[in-house]
Amino acid sequence: MSIQSDALSEIIISAKNLSKTVLTANGSLSILSGIHLNINHGESLAIMGMSGSGKTTLISLLAGLDTPSSGTITINGQPLTTMTEDDKARLRNQFIGFVFQNFQLLNNLTALENVMLPLEIIGHPHAKDKALNFLDRVGLSHRYNHRPSQLSGGEQQRVALARAFVTQPSILFADEPTGNLDQKTGKTIIDLLFALNEENKTTLVLVTHDQSLATLCSRTLMLENGKTA
Amino acid sequence: MNLFLLACRLLRREGRSGELTLLSFALIVAVTSATTISLFSDRLETTMVSQAGQFLAGDLVVTSPTTLTSDWLSVAKTLALKQTMTAEFSSVLIENDSFLLASIKAVSNHYPLRGSLKITGNHFDQEQTITHGPQPGQAWIDKRILSALNLKLGESLHVGNKKLILSKIITYEPDKRGNLYSLSPRLMMHTQDVPETGILKPGSHVHYYYQFTGQDSALKSFKQFSKKRLNPSQRIMDIHVDRPEIGTALDRVQKYLRLSSVIIILIAGVAIAITTRRYSERHFNSAAILRCLGCTQAQIVKLFITQLVLLGFLASLLGCLLGWVSHAGLFALLKSLLPETIASANPLAAFFGLITGMVILLGFALPPLLQLKKVSPLRILRRELDPIPTQSGIVYGMALLVISGLIYTFTLDIKFTLLLTLLASLGITLLMGLIYALLTVIKKLESRVNLNVRFALLSLVKNRKNTAAQILAFSLTLMAMLLSFSVHQNLISDWQTQLPKTTPNHFVLNLFEHQRDDFKTDLTTHNINAQALFPIVRGRLIKINNQAVQKIVSKDSQGERAIHRDLSLTWSKQLPEGNFITSGKWHQSPPSHQVSIEQKLATSLNIQLNDALTFTIGHETINATVTTVRQVNWDSMKPNFYFIFSPGSLTSFPKTFITSFYLAPENKNFLNTLAKKYPAITILEVDFILNQLSLILKQLTQAINYLLIFALIAGLIVLAATINATLDERRHQSALLRTLGANRSLLRNNHLLEFISLGFFSSLFAVLLHDIASFALYHFILKIAYLPSLMLWVLVPLIGTTLITLTGLWSIRKVVNKSPLSILREH
Ligand SMILES: Nc1ncnc2c1ncn2[C@@H]1O[C@H](COP(=O)(O)OP(=O)(O)OP(=O)(O)O)[C@@H](O)[C@H]1O
Ligand SMILES: [Mg+2]
Repeated sequence: MSIQSDALSEIIISAKNLSKTVLTANGSLSILSGIHLNINHGESLAIMGMSGSGKTTLISLLAGLDTPSSGTITINGQPLTTMTEDDKARLRNQFIGFVFQNFQLLNNLTALENVMLPLEIIGHPHAKDKALNFLDRVGLSHRYNHRPSQLSGGEQQRVALARAFVTQPSILFADEPTGNLDQKTGKTIIDLLFALNEENKTTLVLVTHDQSLATLCSRTLMLENGKTA
Repeated sequence: MNLFLLACRLLRREGRSGELTLLSFALIVAVTSATTISLFSDRLETTMVSQAGQFLAGDLVVTSPTTLTSDWLSVAKTLALKQTMTAEFSSVLIENDSFLLASIKAVSNHYPLRGSLKITGNHFDQEQTITHGPQPGQAWIDKRILSALNLKLGESLHVGNKKLILSKIITYEPDKRGNLYSLSPRLMMHTQDVPETGILKPGSHVHYYYQFTGQDSALKSFKQFSKKRLNPSQRIMDIHVDRPEIGTALDRVQKYLRLSSVIIILIAGVAIAITTRRYSERHFNSAAILRCLGCTQAQIVKLFITQLVLLGFLASLLGCLLGWVSHAGLFALLKSLLPETIASANPLAAFFGLITGMVILLGFALPPLLQLKKVSPLRILRRELDPIPTQSGIVYGMALLVISGLIYTFTLDIKFTLLLTLLASLGITLLMGLIYALLTVIKKLESRVNLNVRFALLSLVKNRKNTAAQILAFSLTLMAMLLSFSVHQNLISDWQTQLPKTTPNHFVLNLFEHQRDDFKTDLTTHNINAQALFPIVRGRLIKINNQAVQKIVSKDSQGERAIHRDLSLTWSKQLPEGNFITSGKWHQSPPSHQVSIEQKLATSLNIQLNDALTFTIGHETINATVTTVRQVNWDSMKPNFYFIFSPGSLTSFPKTFITSFYLAPENKNFLNTLAKKYPAITILEVDFILNQLSLILKQLTQAINYLLIFALIAGLIVLAATINATLDERRHQSALLRTLGANRSLLRNNHLLEFISLGFFSSLFAVLLHDIASFALYHFILKIAYLPSLMLWVLVPLIGTTLITLTGLWSIRKVVNKSPLSILREH
């Protein structure tokens, strides 16, 4: 299901002349403009920049959560810009994993059920075993039956990591994954993230304010007022 | 993915979230009431129809001047219908040198199929209720025959050539029918004895009544079969045809009960829409996460609809069960008023409740739920990204569709449905306009008032849509409850005034001209207030404008029934009391040979003013010109006539007189005096029919009161739902205000003022809508004048405001008391 083996092209994400403009009450506002970006397979990229520089906007475009005002994005050779919403959803399910600053687990489901969710969406036959396996990997198999509200922030983010990796995606997007955690817990999460990344040979796109975290990545992209610095 | 399992899981985990609980309650109330009504009216109708069937002594009767061929009866047999037959004819009885024209009724085994006979021995006090006729060789008779022919019970009498023993006196016969005015005393015998009398020969004037009972569906098929086989002299009678007054009463009851349940459903629907909207808003985030993880829009829709349908099904099922209990409760409550045996419940009628539940749920909950489909996955990163709300046109359109669909299912009356739907949409549009106008005024005021009231006004105008929805919901609910209550009040009192206590309950027929003055004096000396005495000549309408009537009438119409029998023709100088001329001018005398026709018959026979009518009376024919069309109140229990001639038109024919009067039950003895003094007269006691009508009335009153409970519960759920929908926002605002130093009394005052305004304006609009709706309902549907009540304008705002304010304050009590920090943290 993942394309690790057939890495015909080195480039897995390619963005050309990307820009995003939004309409506000005070006229149109340019958030991103003239972004050129190629991300190679297996690479880890840190996106940095001041608050409001457009980091979140950029990865939401790259992940197909939002549509650019102009420019093109290709993921794995498929042009995102011409896809329908449902096509993009399928693409996300197959190739992309997410980790968010505020975890984004479904509160009504247990840890295990949250991890199973992406597998169930594609109808994976052994969703439960696989999910348990990944929960075990993040060290939470004994808490499988607990709801997010019964878990600490760090534990929730570990569940989120398990959920992100359970489909063995080609690309993982992480938007300030440690932003809501204390330093020590943040460190555990980052170690886990990079370990899983290593094991699964995933391409990592990471937004962070943390310079030390950025140095763990193979490349850093600085954003300044919506442009690459 | 196994969406269904996931849906089940999510639904189960949703647990006792406020919205779903309220939604379930609303649905349960709607389904319970729909099931109650459905079961109740189904059983009541079956019961009433079979009770009314007693008037026919069967559910379906075929009358014919000849015996029916055997294939009819074998068809009835294959349909498993029970059947019996009676034959009615006249014969002169001669005993002891006296003679008397009697109306003979020969009955076969199984008579009567519905209802029962009452008989006595020599004394009236030994009345007995039985369900069979006389044995062969015996005759049961009206008491009048004994005195007229100087006979005693136990003696014998000849009917034609057959000698019969007089064994019992008949006091009540369920199917004493049709033409009230032509009854000669009854002699009942067994059909087996008829051939030996030698009276019935080919061409004899005789009516055969074939009576049938059985399953509804079988009766229906039999009716269809019979309709095809009928010749012009035969006809089918069933309850709705033969007893119009009971038919209409039944129809009204049905219509009213069903209308009430539509109203309850509407209120519950409002609650469902509000709660689902909030539910779906609360799940925007879940939907975004699912989209992010790769769910397609279709999967999202399926996932949430499955949950909704699942919940709806369970709630509806519960509602059905409760409806079953509640309808049994309704019957138990009305036990003393209802007939002893009630038709058993039809499970299909309960099933109807289930269907209704699902339809309401989808109609009211689907539009807000579909919003979830439009949630963008980007919301996960930008919380403020709300999906575009479902167009309000679609929301209201769906609701309207569901409600009008239900009204149609309940009434099967397209005109009524369209009218009501139109009025409802007009009403809602009007109300929306009023609410927005009001909010605009409030907004202007808001900046000028001091802090103590500013936040109240602010929260009213801040979210105009929400406030409008709340006021709309409250006023619709209040209006519906009000309508339910006042229509019931008015209908009841209307019926009671239609049938005043002194409504005539006895008819006297066959009074001769020479007895007329004595009779009048007798009534006056006994303080009995009788209607005028009308002369009667028996005749039949045969031609309209020189065309034979048979060729003109349509089958099974009122007109058809009227021309196949002798009618009572009368004449009068004045327009009788309770008759109204709808066209033409009341006849002057002279000239004679003018006639006034009853309106419905005129319509049915397509008779216009100035048409020439030809009647046969005995062997003669007479002509008359139609000079007026009259409206007659058939429920009035006064002598009513299809045709009233101008004086002088019918004087040459033999005539008798008829009148009606009210006799209190304790004065019944007076009837004996009359019977003794005027042996030839027939006295008809119609108290029975009146009792039937008032029974229906009482039943209705009780049933409506019962239903009002459901309307009230549904209304309270709406209240809770609207407050629940704004609870988060209120909490947050109040926490903020308190961190900024506002004290609790400031908050409380503001809340108080807010709820008072909500309650007051909602109530005011409710009364306004109610008056408009009532006017329309009365004017167009019930055709009764509507008098708006000033009391409503005072009482409703008072009660409504109090109720809404109290419930509101109760619902937000926690908002004011909770510590601001805990609330801000929750956010
Ligand atoms: N839909 C929108 N409408 C208006 N402004 C927007 C919209 N989306 C983003 N912005 C603005 O664009 C700029 C970039 O936003 P973005 O969230 O990408 O910044 P960021 O780099 O992720 O910041 P942070 O580090 O605080 O998360 C911000 O100023 C934001 O307010
Ligand atoms: Mg950001």
